[in-house]
Amino acid sequence: MDKLLLIDDEPDIVRVLSISLKADGYDVIPAHSGTEGLAAFQKEKPDIILTDIKMPGMDGIEVLKNVKDLNPDAEVIIITGHGDIENAIEALKYGASDFINKPVRDEALSIALKRAREKLDIRQQLKEYRTNLEKKVEEATRELRRRANFQIRLIRSSNDGIVASDKDLKIVIFNPGAAKIFGYTQSETINQLHITDLYPVDLAASFRDGLTGDRRIKDFAWRETTIESKSGEDIPVRFSGTILQEKGQPMGTVAFFQDLREIKRLEKELVKSERLAAIGQTVAGLAHGIKNILHGLKGGRYLVDIGIEKKDNERLKKGWDMIKRNIDRTSNLVMDLLSYSKEREPELEACLPNEIANDVCELLQDKARDNNVRIIREFDESIGEVTMDPRTIHEILLNLMSNAVDACLFDEDMTKIWQVSIKPAKEENRAIRFEVTDNGSGMNEDVVKKLFTSFFSTKGHRGTGLGLMVTRKLIEEHNGTIDVDSQIGRGTTITVRLPYTLTYDGCF
Amino acid sequence: MSKRVLVVDDDPDVRLFSVTVLEENGYTPLEADNGETGLKMIKEKKPDLVILDVLMPRQSGVRLYRELKTSKSLKDVKVIILSGIAKKTFLRSQKALTEFGGAEVPEPEIYLEKPVEPEELAEAINKMLA
Repeated sequence: MDKLLLIDDEPDIVRVLSISLKADGYDVIPAHSGTEGLAAFQKEKPDIILTDIKMPGMDGIEVLKNVKDLNPDAEVIIITGHGDIENAIEALKYGASDFINKPVRDEALSIALKRAREKLDIRQQLKEYRTNLEKKVEEATRELRRRANFQIRLIRSSNDGIVASDKDLKIVIFNPGAAKIFGYTQSETINQLHITDLYPVDLAASFRDGLTGDRRIKDFAWRETTIESKSGEDIPVRFSGTILQEKGQPMGTVAFFQDLREIKRLEKELVKSERLAAIGQTVAGLAHGIKNILHGLKGGRYLVDIGIEKKDNERLKKGWDMIKRNIDRTSNLVMDLLSYSKEREPELEACLPNEIANDVCELLQDKARDNNVRIIREFDESIGEVTMDPRTIHEILLNLMSNAVDACLFDEDMTKIWQVSIKPAKEENRAIRFEVTDNGSGMNEDVVKKLFTSFFSTKGHRGTGLGLMVTRKLIEEHNGTIDVDSQIGRGTTITVRLPYTLTYDGCF
Repeated sequence: MSKRVLVVDDDPDVRLFSVTVLEENGYTPLEADNGETGLKMIKEKKPDLVILDVLMPRQSGVRLYRELKTSKSLKDVKVIILSGIAKKTFLRSQKALTEFGGAEVPEPEIYLEKPVEPEELAEAINKMLA
């Protein structure tokens, strides 16, 4: 309930008005003189004061002045005598919010009170709003300061070089990261140099065009480039940049540089160490292969020696065969090594893939028959003539198919009818797919993983461990792919895809 | 009766070499071309010595050696390893298997790395069977 201080020297008026004000919902504090009223005001702190103007002792104007001194927001309504305009005007001058004439009519009173109430409310709202606003401004300022600090720190501590310029290309931000890359200090650059003094010509030009040109490219995506440092060193960097805009107008530039020197150095080291590891592996594998061959040769020599000594022709022959076999092994190893280490460009010419596959089948026919392995030829007659490297195809297929036959030899499941099939087919994207499938021993995942590594062989003394490496190399040189699908005990399918070009037939 | 020596190797040339050395020195050679057959023959024929290769299809020499040395009845079978694999690689494999939960196995008494001279092989065989 709103408190209302009612001051009048006439007790009847105080009584009557009190009744009607209480009925309107006010908590009325009655007072019968200015002095009493002012005391009650200080004690009760009402928002609205209704005071008679003419009172003995302290009059209404005095009350008004005092109240306004104590609380400028208090609403003071003056009750004036009829026609007492002069006093009313004076009252308004001192900040009275309204005045009503005597005799006080209920209607006029309630309008005046309502207005006072509204003013109070609005003022209260304004006050709250202002307090709120102040709080918000304070918060925003704090947040801005925090963000600015954060950004300054971010820019300062960023490993990336950050360089910003104004729209005249003059450098305004040059962080320590940039100093590390460009070799200039902050004091040498900020407000001293233009980005055109630092950036490569093309980069500077893109920024200038971005700011002034018609083609306004606003963002430059990450790309690798080289900058020249203060000392003249070429430094590899990744760069990206942006034209900064304000309300659609370019206001400056910012560029980010990442120093690639360390990465480049590591890349080089990695390549080097990989090569060293490959060489080490190769040498170790090679040594193992040669040790075995040497052992065979020594054995052969031993048998030959005994044969000669004891005139034992059988020993002599066995020993000589042993030497010959190990000479062959040496030659295989050397040939494989050579073809693996030699860079070779495919020699493209018109050829018939089916026919090459057929030749390979013929070559393996005897070995397959001796070991109860059937060779199945599934040729797609529509392949016809294409331009590829026939020697590559021949070597790849011979290697894969003899592996497939071997996989059957290694198989222990005697209930199987072993078979190896070769299936060349044309693919849509100008490639020939060769599928070599066997139902032999199959391989587990570990073996499949090692298939293309050097000197890994599942064939014991019979393999050089280089066959599939050579095969893969040939396929890669021919821009093809090889896929292996194998299940232990079930067999293996190797799929090779090699691209071809159409044979010239006058139709172009 | 002369002592019997089993040669386990997948390479027929290596077997022929060892077999000839054995014959020339008055022993009776037996042959197996993989670890699995080798183990079977050791159990059946009870040879006096085994000359064992390491890298073989089916069962490797690493496994076969381990089976012999951890078996109550076979642990005293004498073994010479004859391999292209270096001794330290063989030992490393054995150590890995031991760490993997296998039993500790003793180092082979004689480990020969290919290539060997026939005299060297003969000497090793004679020493083991003396």
